[in-house]
Amino acid sequence: MIRIRDIHKQYEMGPTVVHALDGVSMDITAGEFVAIVGPSGSGKSTLMNIIGCLDTPDRGEYVLAGEPVAELSDDQLAEIRNLRIGFVFQNFNLLPRATALENVELPLIYRGRGARARRRVAEEMLERVGLADRMTHLPSELSGGQRQRVAIARALVGGPSVILADEPTGALDTRTGGEIMDLFHRLNRDGVTVILVTHDPALAAQTGRSFRLLDGRIVGNGLIDNRREEAVQ
Amino acid sequence: MKLGAQMIMLWENGAMSLRSILSNKGRAFLTALGVMIGVASVIGLTALGQGARVSVEGRLSHLGANLLIIYSGEPRGTSLVRQRTTNIAPMLTREDLTFLDSLPQELVTKTAPESSMNAQLKVENRNAAATVIGTDPDYPDVRNFRPVYGAFFTELDVESRRNVAAIGVQVYRDLFPDGRDPLGQTIRINGFPFQVVAIMEEKGSPTQDASVLIPFSTYRRSLSGSDNYAIINVQAASPEVMYELQEIIERELLSLRRVPSMEFANFYIANQMDLISTVTGVADTFTLLLGGIAAISLLVGGIGIMNIMLVSVAERTREIGVRMALGAKPRHIMTQFLTEAIILSAGGGTIGVLLGNLFSWGAQRFGGLASLVTPESVLLAFSFALATGLFFGGYPAYRASRLDPIEALRYE
Repeated sequence: MIRIRDIHKQYEMGPTVVHALDGVSMDITAGEFVAIVGPSGSGKSTLMNIIGCLDTPDRGEYVLAGEPVAELSDDQLAEIRNLRIGFVFQNFNLLPRATALENVELPLIYRGRGARARRRVAEEMLERVGLADRMTHLPSELSGGQRQRVAIARALVGGPSVILADEPTGALDTRTGGEIMDLFHRLNRDGVTVILVTHDPALAAQTGRSFRLLDGRIVGNGLIDNRREEAVQ
Repeated sequence: MKLGAQMIMLWENGAMSLRSILSNKGRAFLTALGVMIGVASVIGLTALGQGARVSVEGRLSHLGANLLIIYSGEPRGTSLVRQRTTNIAPMLTREDLTFLDSLPQELVTKTAPESSMNAQLKVENRNAAATVIGTDPDYPDVRNFRPVYGAFFTELDVESRRNVAAIGVQVYRDLFPDGRDPLGQTIRINGFPFQVVAIMEEKGSPTQDASVLIPFSTYRRSLSGSDNYAIINVQAASPEVMYELQEIIERELLSLRRVPSMEFANFYIANQMDLISTVTGVADTFTLLLGGIAAISLLVGGIGIMNIMLVSVAERTREIGVRMALGAKPRHIMTQFLTEAIILSAGGGTIGVLLGNLFSWGAQRFGGLASLVTPESVLLAFSFALATGLFFGGYPAYRASRLDPIEALRYE
């Protein structure tokens, strides 16, 4: 599903050059639930942006669902994001003046789908995340957990190859955060590929396996199979 | 993207923009206010300019339609509305008039010679001063100056040199302040008794309202003693032939006088077309000037739109980031903000059109000003407003579309 080979990315911060990613490789197969974990400044966000097709690497290879995406134009990247990626953000990033339903419909608008088809799929997704009774509410009328569910429904609505969740529980209390993680697990069991980006090793440990990033590199050969570690313990 | 999908995008953009505008009505109003005022002033001010033009045209056509006036004397510009020259020597001859009357119907419909002098009028013990004009029965038609009461004198009156007079409305008021029926009453003009046969319509011009019209034959016998005319009014068959007719008359009158060119002529011709084109030219310049000033205010309105749009883009940076993350292409973002700018300017333009019409109506109703809203000015102002929105909304929309989605998502 995702195949990344020797990706490099560097930024100029004033006079100094920051190597945000310094030769990262990874493979993620369809249906997996993986975590990318690391402290801030580890290159985690940069990697997430590249996987999410918001950014392109300076060099290296990135193949998403069989399609090399490392060197696409802005328009092509936008299309890939629309078709292949479902974003879930820490701060939800819902449009404040649009209802839950309208927020969920948004990706389909950019796909040019008609209003009726959009509405049907969006309603289905909101039901799937347990918000059938909150469809016409504005984000401001929803709790944090409910907002994140709307965001997840929005990420799912386009039938993406992968859900990319960036600290999805970071703005939520422990209990609500747990509920959101449960939702991800449930979706993953239904076959959705989920990549969780977090600084929290405890959250990462709930996933199938983790990539630990430090200073732009993947630490310890790049593969941590959480289940096997659990088994060893 | 297929056409259907494009239409959906366009529709969604419109809906999104409309929602965004409606969510901040106060600001939307202030943004569009500049365009409103701009459009309203373009329409209102050009309406005043065009109103002035039409009212002047109207006043000129009151002189009579397709009028050429041949004056005795040296040329003094195209002074068709000049004070009547009562003291110039009449130098247009019966021969001249005969020639004019001999011109074909396709060129000349009617002619009316006239001479005039200031005279003293008297009824019983009441005195008044007036301009007495000796002329022909066609005068009311040619000069568009008609009797409102009674009947103008006839060919028969001229032939038999009757002492009959059609009096201007001011003369009537001066001589008959008791408002009695003047028809059949006798007035004395420089001592000669004349019978009143008609009251002329009110023209608002003292030269006409304070005049007395009598048959030319009577005028010559009783008052002037001269066979010549001071003026010959010629009514051309159509506006198109007026310049041709003027040339023909000039050529023939010069040859009758054995004079080589107009420089040495003792007559000159005022052409109504000249005057109309001069006056309407002035009015058009005036319109253009007012329109130009108003267009500048429209431009300022456009800058207002740009200002607010830039603020709006900055405020919604994160929204733009989210939309981009969800698959919006740069041109989608561009269209969204452009649509917003166009809706604002079109809305402002529409209200501006209403306000401009209201202004024009008010100027006429309460300000007593002639005012005419032309469809061209409405169309021009409205499309200029749209173009302003497109142009000044374009830059903020472009800025929005060029945002880096990563930066935009991180924006606080």
